[in-house]
Amino acid sequence: MARVEYEDVWKQFASQGAPAVRGLSLDIADGELLVLLGPSGCGKTTALRMLAGLEEPDRGDIRIAGTSVVGREPKDRDVALVFQSYALYPHLSARENIRYPLKLRKMSRAEQDKRVDHVADMLGIARLLPRRPSQLSGGEQQRVALARAIVREPRVFLMDEPLSNLDAKLRVHTRTELKTLQRELGTTMVFVTHDQAEAMSLANRIAILSAGELQQIGTPDEVYDHPANLFVAEFIGSPPMNLLEVTRDGDTLVAADGWRLPAPLTRERPAGELMVGLRPEAIAIKSEGHAAEVVAVEPLGSEVIVDVRIAGKALKVRAAPSVRPQPGSTVHLAVEPGGVRLFDRSTGSALH
Amino acid sequence: MTAAARAISGTGPSRRPRARPLEWLLVHLAFVAVSAFFLAPFLWLFGAAFDENATAYIHWPSAPTFNNFIRIFTEHDFGVALGNSVFVSVATMLLVVVTVSLAGYSLSRIELRRKDWITYGILLLQTMPLSATMVPIYGLARQLGLRNSYLGLILIHATIELPFLVWLMKGFFDSVPRQLEEASWLDGRTKLRALIEIVLPLARPGLGIAAGLSFLSAWAEVLMVIILVDQQSMKTVPLAFYEAMRNQGGYTEVQYGVIAAMAILYLMPVMAVFIGARRLMVRGLMSSTRGL
Amino acid sequence: MTVAGAGAIGPRSTGLGRTLKRNRLYFAGLTPAALLLAVFFVGPALWALGSSFTNRALVGIDAANPRFVGLDNYTRLFGDPDFGRVIVNSIVFVVGSAIIGQFILGLGLALLIDHAQQRGFRAANFVYAAVLLAWVDPTLIAGFLWVAMFDFYYGSLNVALSVFGLGPVNWFGQAPMLAVIIANVWRGTAFTMLIFLGALRTVPGDVYEAARVDGASAWRRFWDHTLPMLRPIAALTLLSITMSTFGTFIVIQTLTNGGPSFQTEVIALYAYHEAFQAHEVGYGSTIAVAMLVLNLAFAVFYLRWSRARA
Repeated sequence: MARVEYEDVWKQFASQGAPAVRGLSLDIADGELLVLLGPSGCGKTTALRMLAGLEEPDRGDIRIAGTSVVGREPKDRDVALVFQSYALYPHLSARENIRYPLKLRKMSRAEQDKRVDHVADMLGIARLLPRRPSQLSGGEQQRVALARAIVREPRVFLMDEPLSNLDAKLRVHTRTELKTLQRELGTTMVFVTHDQAEAMSLANRIAILSAGELQQIGTPDEVYDHPANLFVAEFIGSPPMNLLEVTRDGDTLVAADGWRLPAPLTRERPAGELMVGLRPEAIAIKSEGHAAEVVAVEPLGSEVIVDVRIAGKALKVRAAPSVRPQPGSTVHLAVEPGGVRLFDRSTGSALH
Repeated sequence: MTAAARAISGTGPSRRPRARPLEWLLVHLAFVAVSAFFLAPFLWLFGAAFDENATAYIHWPSAPTFNNFIRIFTEHDFGVALGNSVFVSVATMLLVVVTVSLAGYSLSRIELRRKDWITYGILLLQTMPLSATMVPIYGLARQLGLRNSYLGLILIHATIELPFLVWLMKGFFDSVPRQLEEASWLDGRTKLRALIEIVLPLARPGLGIAAGLSFLSAWAEVLMVIILVDQQSMKTVPLAFYEAMRNQGGYTEVQYGVIAAMAILYLMPVMAVFIGARRLMVRGLMSSTRGL
Repeated sequence: MTVAGAGAIGPRSTGLGRTLKRNRLYFAGLTPAALLLAVFFVGPALWALGSSFTNRALVGIDAANPRFVGLDNYTRLFGDPDFGRVIVNSIVFVVGSAIIGQFILGLGLALLIDHAQQRGFRAANFVYAAVLLAWVDPTLIAGFLWVAMFDFYYGSLNVALSVFGLGPVNWFGQAPMLAVIIANVWRGTAFTMLIFLGALRTVPGDVYEAARVDGASAWRRFWDHTLPMLRPIAALTLLSITMSTFGTFIVIQTLTNGGPSFQTEVIALYAYHEAFQAHEVGYGSTIAVAMLVLNLAFAVFYLRWSRARA
């Protein structure tokens, strides 16, 4: 049982003015792959390090398998951490690196070697074992760091942006491998990243943080389709969600240049300053609809992103690869009612 | 929120700023011991210089006075020594900076197949212990008539730091891309002007180190001065200091106060550089294993 | 320019004349430095060598007309019991001061200060500066300061000892070698401290954190990681400070001048004394040559080693 719980955790560093982590509460199920997502400085790495035992919370509790681990040394928590820089021991061979945690636990030499070989095979690095970290490529070092974590068979895997230093192609490839690996091993994993695409493809659930506060936690589909606030709406999705300021007029929402959008059905009728969110794929270019000027066309092969301008605001629209309007020409936009998200402009939170 | 969590937060050795009281105490005790060992001599020096009846005892005089400082000028011709030292040190610095810039630049840009050998040779020369050259330089200087002369002092002081500084300047010039001076040659400048106007400003930190190091080295140099000078009119500060120390009558008559005053004045340029440009100074000294 | 470059490393050697011509400005630029170095660095070495084959003296007939004596000085050197004593003293001094004192104290200080700085103890910077101060000041000053420190009645060392109830020590009389070693350690430790501090700082912090998560205690982290990572530079540093301590002159001369009765006579002092007190310049040159040869052997070894590392 390796359930992980954060309960109202606060952390402030003396050198900084604002708390790094504010009242974080999370419940991570056994065997789940949870991604902590957010921009730099949002507190996700601090939250991870507190779980590892490298930092201690000022307030609140952190529990693994139901027992509080606050105050306990990292080694007593039975967690493994893969660092962004891999943090391999430079003076030891790859084999010695992987062996190290086992050596500390005073396992028999034979048992150590058996486990090391097993993990090395699993990750395909068996032939790299005699080499030193300086003789390995970035991707190879990363696997050695992974191996060192896996060989311990910990209760929880902690990953601090382990893929950030890899080149794009390797990153995508390793991402898939990691996801498969985690599923096979069945161990709870907490994964930190700032890359929303990475989070979407890896996670069972994503926890989005900003300025130390949890913004939303949900499956990738949930946070994509129903972002809880403007921050999440803008952070998730590439290209990001289009945002327009609107006012309510009965069942319609009116944008600055007169564009009328169907309001989503809600029990209350929120009035006042409102913001509408439209995913690029929720807008379609049709023969009739609201007029917009084409600014640029980005052909991406499998689709086309059309940059348009409405009332001085730039919007991105997803279209089929054959749609190629000329820059400067006018196109007509239509919106599906199901694609409209409503937000309160002042608080930022979603309104349905 | 458990009471246990609140109570034990902050334990465990960590590389983050959070230490147990015991660790803090032990570390600071060590600090006190180390500081005492390394600073005690200077504390004594400062007290003794202002004490008319200074002994080896470390204390601040009850009646501090500048008398010692006055005496070194009136009784020990310190003014002469000071003047000589300033002249020689400045002249050495100028000679060194010019020589070393030319040599470093030339070594950097020269195209020789065996260029590495020259660098290697220079590094080898740098390791030569000065104390081993005392005897031969005496003989050599005497035969060349360089003893008791400004020329001799300046030339030899300049040569001491030469190997290291040439190597240092070469390194700085290596980091200046050739295209810069090549472009200025095409513009019509002579090579020398290009060197002075274009390349040199880019190697400024190196020049700073060269100037500072050669000045301080000349200022502090004593081995060579012992060998080269025996006329009172030519002595430098280190030699005056050296003589004052050696001319003690009997063990208990060491004139601590007067010599301490000399030491303070001898120390001042070094201290000025230390306080003003410590990092640069350390960087320069570190690479030249000779130290001061 | 490119033509010149191609010529210098082309398969067809263009000959000395062409090389000289192409690089003539650079050769000119090297001349002042080369001249100075030749006359005042290489020159003395050659002069010492030449003089070592004579019986040149400071005064007297042999000063005006030194005679060539072949290898007499060298045979005398190898049979000289005083020289044997001097070698032993030099070795003891180097081992005590450089290897035991400066190296270990420097390492300890580096570890202490690095640890303290990681913890945010700001006093560490003060201690660091204090250690540095002892190193940057002129050697003569260091000698003088320690003459006072070792003073029998009032010197700080004996005063400190009396605080702990220990009797005053007649440093220069009873423990001269220890005294010069202490003074030299005081002076030279900063160098090793700086080197080790630099080495410690190149270790990324998260290597230690990884060790913590893997389960290593503070002691284990030190033994398994800190020390092994310092090993390469430690060996090189040891060689370096051995070489520089070997030529110590001023510190010992001002404190004991080689005495009492030869107990602290190291090789540099011996050369000086033989030339200028016993007036035997030829013999003194021989000793100087011995020093230079020994130093050269070390230096070649050191340079080869440090290049291999780079």
